[in-house]
Amino acid sequence: MPRSIRLFALALSAGLIVAAFVVGGDQLSDARWLAVLGLAWVLLMVGLWVPIPIGTATERRTVIRLGTTFAAAFVVLGAQLFRMQLIRSDALANRIESGGDGQIISNPRRVGLGLAVRRGEILSADGATLAGTEEIPLGWGRTYPEPSAASVLGYYSPLQFGTAGIEQAFDRELTGVETGNPFTEVRDELLHRSRQGNDVILTIESGLQRQAATSLGGRAGAAVLIEVGTGKILAMVSNPAPDPAAIFAGSYDETETAADYWDALLERDDRPLVSRALTGLYTPGSIFKVITSAAAIEMGIATPDTVYLDDGVLNVSGRQIIENNRPDDSVIEWTLEDSLAWSLNVVYAQVGLQVTADGLRDYARGFGFDAAIPFAQPVSRSQLEGQEGFLDSPPALADTAFGQGELLVTPLHMALVAAGVANAGQLMQPQILDRIVAPDGTVIREGQTEEWRRAIRPETAETVIEMMRHAVRTGVATGAAIEGLAVGGKTGTAEIAGQQPHAWFMGFAGTWADVTPRHAVAVVLENGGSGSIAVARDILLAAADR
Amino acid sequence: MAQPVPVTPGGSRRHYRPTLRLTEFQLLIAPALLTIVGLLTIYLAPRNDLLWSWGDVWVSLVYAGLIAGASIVFALARLRADQIVLPIVATLAGLGLLIIQRLQPDIAAIESGLAGIASRQVAYLTIGLVLMVVVALFRPAMPLLRRYKYTALVASLGLLAVTFVFGQEINGARLWLSFGPVQIQPSEIVKVTLLVFLAGYLDEKRDLLRDNWKVGGLSLPPLPWLMPMGLMWAASIATVVVLNDLGSGLLFFGIFLVMIYAATGRGLYVGLGLASFAIACVVLFQLFGRIAIRVQNWLNPFVDPYDSGYQQIQSDYAISSGGIFGTGLGLGQPYFVSQVHTDYVFAAFGEELGLLGTMAIITLYLLLVLRAFIIGLRADDTFDRLVAVGIGSIVAIQTLIILGGVLRVIPLTGITLPFISYGGSSLLTNFILVGLLLNISARRSRG
Repeated sequence: MPRSIRLFALALSAGLIVAAFVVGGDQLSDARWLAVLGLAWVLLMVGLWVPIPIGTATERRTVIRLGTTFAAAFVVLGAQLFRMQLIRSDALANRIESGGDGQIISNPRRVGLGLAVRRGEILSADGATLAGTEEIPLGWGRTYPEPSAASVLGYYSPLQFGTAGIEQAFDRELTGVETGNPFTEVRDELLHRSRQGNDVILTIESGLQRQAATSLGGRAGAAVLIEVGTGKILAMVSNPAPDPAAIFAGSYDETETAADYWDALLERDDRPLVSRALTGLYTPGSIFKVITSAAAIEMGIATPDTVYLDDGVLNVSGRQIIENNRPDDSVIEWTLEDSLAWSLNVVYAQVGLQVTADGLRDYARGFGFDAAIPFAQPVSRSQLEGQEGFLDSPPALADTAFGQGELLVTPLHMALVAAGVANAGQLMQPQILDRIVAPDGTVIREGQTEEWRRAIRPETAETVIEMMRHAVRTGVATGAAIEGLAVGGKTGTAEIAGQQPHAWFMGFAGTWADVTPRHAVAVVLENGGSGSIAVARDILLAAADR
Repeated sequence: MAQPVPVTPGGSRRHYRPTLRLTEFQLLIAPALLTIVGLLTIYLAPRNDLLWSWGDVWVSLVYAGLIAGASIVFALARLRADQIVLPIVATLAGLGLLIIQRLQPDIAAIESGLAGIASRQVAYLTIGLVLMVVVALFRPAMPLLRRYKYTALVASLGLLAVTFVFGQEINGARLWLSFGPVQIQPSEIVKVTLLVFLAGYLDEKRDLLRDNWKVGGLSLPPLPWLMPMGLMWAASIATVVVLNDLGSGLLFFGIFLVMIYAATGRGLYVGLGLASFAIACVVLFQLFGRIAIRVQNWLNPFVDPYDSGYQQIQSDYAISSGGIFGTGLGLGQPYFVSQVHTDYVFAAFGEELGLLGTMAIITLYLLLVLRAFIIGLRADDTFDRLVAVGIGSIVAIQTLIILGGVLRVIPLTGITLPFISYGGSSLLTNFILVGLLLNISARRSRG
């Protein structure tokens, strides 16, 4: 074989394997990888097909050929080892499959490892233990002394079901795999030092979390309380949520009861394993009018005093919009401010048509629709229109402007929107991590307050804040008013075909002296009528005592 | 200043003077330290303290003494043999010694019959090293083997037949012959006799086999002289079909193919051999569910996770859990892999020594194989050369078969990992092969 071809073949086989490593990951199936290996072996043999002088005895020539063939095969074995122990090491070691009989098959080492490491604790910002660690016969067990935090924490089940929620989001820190210093990580692994978990301290405040859980009661839904200036999540509840204490099993006997509990969870119709605050997508209903208002005001289309005509019905390109929300049917002229307070759909349909589809898109995206919310855990994207161009039809635009259409939002996102309005139009990144503390007490990571996106100008925000306060003073949301506090908010009733509507409230509160409200809240109650206002009021009242 | 006295060549011949085997002796320090430090690690790791005495590592001290002793005996006997082979083999066998010591307490807790494997492994290693020394020093070994090549053929076929009639079935394969308390695995012996026959026969007939057979106007491969080879081919298929021993069948077939190529250099034979192998694979795949199951477990062991796929799944978990550095000797949980002390022993290394350890081990095997080939290249005699190449190929093929299977590069066919897996027959025959290799390397310089 000429030298150039040999070098090319060697480079090609090395390139193939490296490319398979780089591209590889989860995309490259085992069968394709084996094909790559086979091809690499053939190319290696070509590359090692060295010229042998003519006249060399046959048995010498054959020995060289055999030697290079075997050498190439050993290189292929080495490549496979690289894949199994380096490139795909974690994926293979953590592979979990169903056994076909309902049993889960996973790496039995996870059992020992999970329980052998002293997992870090999860604490609230005020120092209450949310997830604790205790010594058990097999190593270290998990306790959950604060049931109200269950929906935030997720679960931790080293023997069976893995992790979810905060237990999953900070698993590497809790198990001590990640210490914040790559050098010590490699050193500890090399020296096989046993790991110690780090404590994770959340921004959650235990009192507020308990209040939120109590206010929601057993009702399905979610509530999120955010500190306006920082984006810190002070309370976050999803209902129903699994009981992490029932899922954790610290012995083989306990795995059976845990499995029964798990099976029961899977059979429930209300899907308790879905974290509603982060991944529950709901129609927002009238709370979306806040965004429509912000767009209209900032675009100069309307002011709070602009008067719209509402005589109970509006015809948009053949679609009849019926008004049910007027407190007095004899009045047909309504200012924008009062329309928000009384949640007049006919008025907001007109505002939406003035704002136009592109205007509404701009401002909805400004408030974070269609965007991935930067957060420690996965959050569903809120949706403005189901398919591209939906808003271009006037009836669809009118529907969307008062909160129906194809809108879908998460509770966390709505809390961010309320906080963004209250924060002079600046949306902050939501934070749940306060800090991570190593066993020796050093802080290895701290939560950062960071801006996410600007939705509207401060002047616009000030106007919208005033409109929302007006709504609580005089409109549908008067139930949210708290003596001695300036509460602003908007209710929403999301119509769902064939079901009771979802009840929304989104708003904020601060003392009068404050220009900027301190806390923002979003509450949704599934098929819940109007109970969300009282829940939000309780939470904001409790937060005022901070 | 006194002038140095010139040493006249030949002058020393009348006086006995041992050959200095300094390279070998120096290289042996590595496996000696490896086994001592390794065993200490195994002893201390689960205890989490640093108290120990020399008595705790007596096994390794004995082993270090044995390999040093072998080297010293060679030096005293003035053996001018290759000095690299023994250190490589001693390292591999030392690793085997360590891993069996490490696994015994864990697997004996699962299966009480395995309680004595560590001390038995030490005994096998001792006998193996002694056999190696004897074979290496036994000068008439090669001429004798050449003379008795047909005896070797008869012995090979006879052993396989006897195994078929009297063999004990363990785990579905008929591998064992029992003589009272002693069990032997005849396929390991056949490995040697087959090699001897092929080398002798091919050495004698290689010129005939290199040419075509002229019958009238036709030019055909030399069929009459290929007949005994056909017999061997049939024997390896029979090993698979009748004894249900896939690994040995594949190994025999591999040796057969390698030897015929090494002797004749004809691609035609390799092509024919591979084609017949492919046909045999397809036919056997259709006929035997066992082979279809192997293929299924190769591509996705999770199809039958509790039964046939169990071992492979656990092996995957063990190897991948090792990562780069491994858990450290004695700190992993390789006992989840059933039968981890034999065919799947590499999974234990994967978990506890990590990528660095496994790469080192396959590099050692490759070095041993290439060293055997170099000895073959240097040999003056074709028979010697073929035997040396055959030994290298046996190590290579056996290693590739079992590691390829464990690492899921090819479907698994069970066979021992040379020098490392637990098992007397396997260790003894492999040490005899190493002895032969040393013997061959010494013959050239002996003239």
